[in-house]
Amino acid sequence: MADQAPILEKLDAAVSEVLADWNIYTTLFAGILAAFAIYSVVSNKDPDVHPFLLARQSTASPIRQAGESATYRSLETPYGFPLRSGLNVKDPGAPKWTAGRRGDLRDIWKTAVRGALNEDGTTSGKQGKIYTVLGKNAIEHSLSQVTQEINVIGRHLQKAEVKTVAVCLTDSIELLASIFAGSFYGFKIVLIPHNLPAASLSSHLQNAKADALIAEVGSVDLSLVTKANKQISNVIWVAKYGNRHMDWHEVPKDAKETLDVTVWHELAEEGKDLAGFDVPEYDPTTPAPAVNTVWPSESQYGEFIDFKQENLVAAISALGSALPRTQRFNSSDLVLSIDSLSRSYPLCQIFNALFSNASIALNSVAGENVDFALATKGISPTVIIASSRTMSEYHDRVMKPHTGLISSLGRWVQARTLDAGNMPSKNFFSQLAQVGPTAELSLEKLRLLCISHRVDADASVRMTSEQLTDLRVYMGTRIVSALTGPGIAGAISQTNVFDYRDASGPSHFGAPLSSTEVTLTGVPESQSDDYPEGQILVAGPAVVGGKTTLSARGRIGTDNTLELSA
Amino acid sequence: MSIASPINLILLSLFVVLVYWHFRPKQPVTLPRGPPPVVFRTYTPKTLLEFNGVDGRPVFLAVRGRVFDVSPGRNFYGPGGPYENFAGRDASRGLAHQSFDEEMLTKDLSGPLDDLKDLDADQLENLQSWEERFSEKYLVVGKLVAEGDPEAPKS
Repeated sequence: MADQAPILEKLDAAVSEVLADWNIYTTLFAGILAAFAIYSVVSNKDPDVHPFLLARQSTASPIRQAGESATYRSLETPYGFPLRSGLNVKDPGAPKWTAGRRGDLRDIWKTAVRGALNEDGTTSGKQGKIYTVLGKNAIEHSLSQVTQEINVIGRHLQKAEVKTVAVCLTDSIELLASIFAGSFYGFKIVLIPHNLPAASLSSHLQNAKADALIAEVGSVDLSLVTKANKQISNVIWVAKYGNRHMDWHEVPKDAKETLDVTVWHELAEEGKDLAGFDVPEYDPTTPAPAVNTVWPSESQYGEFIDFKQENLVAAISALGSALPRTQRFNSSDLVLSIDSLSRSYPLCQIFNALFSNASIALNSVAGENVDFALATKGISPTVIIASSRTMSEYHDRVMKPHTGLISSLGRWVQARTLDAGNMPSKNFFSQLAQVGPTAELSLEKLRLLCISHRVDADASVRMTSEQLTDLRVYMGTRIVSALTGPGIAGAISQTNVFDYRDASGPSHFGAPLSSTEVTLTGVPESQSDDYPEGQILVAGPAVVGGKTTLSARGRIGTDNTLELSA
Repeated sequence: MSIASPINLILLSLFVVLVYWHFRPKQPVTLPRGPPPVVFRTYTPKTLLEFNGVDGRPVFLAVRGRVFDVSPGRNFYGPGGPYENFAGRDASRGLAHQSFDEEMLTKDLSGPLDDLKDLDADQLENLQSWEERFSEKYLVVGKLVAEGDPEAPKS
């Protein structure tokens, strides 16, 4: 005891000596310290998703073939369970616990027209809307008006007994109506990218054996196209608002007898009284015809992808369920596609939006490479669908150069929140970060950005993790990034919407969708058990023919996500 | 009155520690990797024989050309279990006859596989239900072909 007393006394003396220096600055420091400690505790939130779900994002099969990796699947449909193959449509009157039908595009339109359901399953009568964005203006269309056009065009082409209709339009109501008309009235739709030179358009029509063509007035040289395509018996012109007063019935001289040329808005006007606003009756057991698209390839002409309705509905349903419940499209969303609907990812996402009773917006300039700021101008969407090329160019050309010191500081603080697994909410720092890079945008309501990357696209437009973090911070939106491939409806894989992790280098593409499974082939035995790398083989209901091997090589990362190698 | 007093320095360093703790880079979680996948193989009756569960080896059995890894059911199919005769063998005929006797097995390991042509409808149904049960519970780790089959691995 005797020894300890002096030590305690000395300690006491030391403490009082230190405290004796307490002055106004000390109070200030103590105040700041306390305030920061309280802020640190209060602002501490659980991450948006359990970190384990990001640490292993897909399941590997317990068995593999020699020279291949295990087969990777979405967590929703692990090995041994059937992959998602349809929309699970439940007809009214069907017994409550039976499994739903796979469904097809007709069910999607029917659901869109029916409107959103209340929680108890009764219809609320709240339909989505369709907007077409023209520069700074957005024109609103009601679904029943589109249904009427579907009926008019469908009946017109059905009466002409055409089997295959080539549609060569920019993203528009007419494009959407033609696709649904094909499903309801039994003709195959071939979506051909617009603005093609006449020669390649003509060869596309030959390949597709199209007997009818729907195209924009003035965009196609009809005499050249019909000369090479004697099988074409019907042409429907779509005239923009500005040039509807003109006469578009002129027929090339040498094709006059066989060719029936009509104009969309005139047909719609004439058939208005007969067509009605009701969705046509259909027998769900009869299969609806296919929808073909063109996949751009090295050769000039591209490759035809014959999407069966089964492929499309599997992909649409998988894209819907890939988002967690709180993030799914719903009736209060407005989904804008600035990527061309002739590409399968935007097409399936737009169908997904219609099936979820969301409103959609189409932009006639939409494509793989568009000016992001211009394309999003006339409207304030909650969801945007864009290509990786559009986004990466916007990032490099506009965002990066406009990131000053203040934005960088804001970004740094926001990136810490992302790092902790939380989406930063709008606050002082988010405004600080966004002040420069997104000054020209007006996207207050944006909550989700869906980016798709073509597997054979230029590697320089592949988004890096850092770019994705920039987009999240500067635009204040969550992001999913999907990988698409030829012959695969929708996407091969898509990132988790809550995956904000920022590793260096090109971003991964998440886990396979629940409608696909991914295997790597040509894997050397020496590395097949850990981090295999090989050619990507995709199988499942969303794949045309059930299975396809891509030319690209991929890798499965430590978190079981798919990456492109090199 | 000075700013650089010891107490101020102590508070300042505390503050720095707190700021670092708040903004420190967080390592993403990683999970341990699962067991590596089993490689699908082609077996002949002779190469299948060694997978009979003796000395802790896995227990395999074949039904109509499909090799199941029944190691999780070692108590039944492994040594000392009621079905031990099937371990490492083609069990199709035995399962169809609901019999676990020695004579249900194909004697000649180098001969052709049992073609099961003489089974009646009931026995085939038996076999079918066994096969379904196996497919639900166990992993198919390979296929069984006769010795000398073009698909058989070269030894």
